[in-house]
Amino acid sequence: MPRSIWNGTVAFGLVSVPVKLYSATQSKTVHFREVHLQDGGRIEHRRFCSKEDREVPYEEVVRGFEVAPDEYVVLSDDERKAAAGDIAHRIDIEHFVPADEIDPIYYEKTYHVGAGKDGEDAYRLLHDALHGTHRAGIGRFTYHDREYLTAVRARDGLLALHTLRFADELVDGHDIDAPEPRRAPDEREVEMARRLVDTLHEDFDPTRYEDEYREAVLEVIRRKSAGEEVRPDEEAPAAESDDLMAALQASLDGAKAGRR
Amino acid sequence: MPRSLWTGSLSFGLVNVPVALYSAVRDVDVHFHQLHEKDGARIETRRFCAEEDREVAYEDLGHAYDVEDDGTVILTEEDLAAAAPRKTRTIDVQAFVDLQDVDPILVDHPYFLAPTGDAEGNLRAYRLLVEVLRTTDRAALGRFVLRTKEYLVLVRVRDDRLSLTTMLFHDEVRPTDGIEGGGRRPAKGELQAAVGLIEALSTDWDPTRYRDCYRERLLDVIRRKEQDERITVPAPAREQTSAPADIMAALRASLERARGGGGDGGPGSGSEEKGDGGQDLDDLSRDELYERAKEADVPGRSKMSKEELVEALKA
Repeated sequence: MPRSIWNGTVAFGLVSVPVKLYSATQSKTVHFREVHLQDGGRIEHRRFCSKEDREVPYEEVVRGFEVAPDEYVVLSDDERKAAAGDIAHRIDIEHFVPADEIDPIYYEKTYHVGAGKDGEDAYRLLHDALHGTHRAGIGRFTYHDREYLTAVRARDGLLALHTLRFADELVDGHDIDAPEPRRAPDEREVEMARRLVDTLHEDFDPTRYEDEYREAVLEVIRRKSAGEEVRPDEEAPAAESDDLMAALQASLDGAKAGRR
Repeated sequence: MPRSLWTGSLSFGLVNVPVALYSAVRDVDVHFHQLHEKDGARIETRRFCAEEDREVAYEDLGHAYDVEDDGTVILTEEDLAAAAPRKTRTIDVQAFVDLQDVDPILVDHPYFLAPTGDAEGNLRAYRLLVEVLRTTDRAALGRFVLRTKEYLVLVRVRDDRLSLTTMLFHDEVRPTDGIEGGGRRPAKGELQAAVGLIEALSTDWDPTRYRDCYRERLLDVIRRKEQDERITVPAPAREQTSAPADIMAALRASLERARGGGGDGGPGSGSEEKGDGGQDLDDLSRDELYERAKEADVPGRSKMSKEELVEALKA
C-alpha cells in the first residue's frame, strides 16, 4: 500500500472532492556515494564561511536572496512560507480545458490521485466526467510551501495531477538560430522522408524500451566487483550526409528489409 | 542566444543531422544562497574525507556502490565512462510514433535542437525532418545520452524547430495498486450535471493567462523585508473540506452560479476581456480575486477559497 504525500480537497464549483496524492514516478538511476579514492573514506560536505575560512555549524547558516552583487536580503523559513499560497490544502479548479490542447512541454511532474476519506462517490463522479469530456481541470496546488499550477485529468481509471510550467519559463524556439537552407527540401525528398517515417512508424509501447545505460552501469559494477578490468569503447563519429537523397533511399531500403 | 548543452548528431536511417541541444526552459526561480549569519558571507561546501579529516580534491573522488552481501565497489570516472560505450554523440531515432499515444506522465525535460554549421546539406536535412514531422503529426522516438544518463526521447516540432523531450523509462512510473479509486458509478443525472458544470467552466487552454504568483509573492516578501517591514506569516489552516452530502444539490447550485451572471457565461467566455464596471466576480480567477481582496483589505484573504473570496468581495 503506497503512502500518500498530501491529503486535501479538489474543488470544482461547490463540489469538494477529498483526495490523497501519491508520487507517480521514481528515478531508477543508479546512485553512488561519494568516497575518497585513496582510502575509501566517506565524504562529508562541510560548511565553511568564505570570509573567515572556518567551519560553520548549521545553526549559524541563514538563507539570503542577492538583491545586488554581494548584498543579500535574509529571509527566515517562516518569512519564505509567507509566500507559499493556499495553505488550506485545497486545489480550486479555476476552469476546464481540452486535455489534449496542453502541449507536453508544459508537463513537469505527475502525482497519482486517490479518493480521500468519505469522498469516494464525488471522486468517481469527477473522474467519469473528466474522462467523458476529455478535459483537464486547471487549478493551483501548494506543496512544501510552494504553489504550483496543475492540471487534473483522468488516467487509467484514476485521477492524475500534473504540475505545469508557466509560459514565461519556456524559451521561445524562434530565439534559437536555425538557418534556412538556400534551397528548401524538394518534393521528392519530402516524399521519400515521409515514406521512411511511415515505414518506421509503430504504436508507442514504452515497455519495449529499457534503460540500457542503467544496465551497463550495473554490469560495470559487477565486473569491477569480480576484479575484472573495465575499459571504455571507442566511438566512431557519425558520417555526415552529403547526398540527402541517396541517404534517404538507402535508409528506406534498409528499413523495409528490417521489417520483413 | 542561449548556450548549447550538447552537440552531436540526430540520425534517422542513414541520414545524420549535426545538431546542438538547448534547454527549452529558463530558470526563473528565486534562488537563495546560504550565508553565515554573523558576517553575511557566503557559505562554501567543502568535501572532507571522514577517515582522515582532511579536504579532498574533486579528482580524488570515487563513486561507491554497495553490492549485496559483497561489500562495496568503488568506481572511478573512467570506469563510469566505460558504462557508456554506446553512442554518446548521437541521438538515434528508432521509430516514429503518434504523439497522442504518449502518456504525459512519461514526459521529463524539454529541449530544442538546432542545426550546427552552415553546410547546405545539413540545413536541408534538418528542414526536411521539421517538414515531415509537422505534416505527419508524428514524433521521432530515440535514445540519447546526456552526461551520465541515458534517456528515451521524443523529437517533434515546436516553434518551427525540432523540440526534444526526455522521457522516463516505463519502470520509473509507480504502479497505482492500492490507490483508492472511488466509489459507486455516478447516476446518469449526476454525470450529466457534472458534465454540464465542466462545460460551463470550460475555456481554451491559454498558458499565458497563468502567472507564477508564488514567485511574485516571494519577490514581494523580499522587497518588503529589504524595507524593514515586518512579514506576518499566515497561520496554518488545516481544516479538511468534506464531500457534499448531497452531490446533486451541490452540482445544481454550482451550475446555476456558473451559468448565471448575464448570458455570456458559456464556454470560452473566460478568456474574453471584460469591462470593469459591474463585472461578474464569479468569472474571475482566484488570483484576480485575491488581488482585489488585497486592494479591499479583506481580512483572512490568503486562507479563502475562490468562492469565499467572491462572497467577501460582494459583501
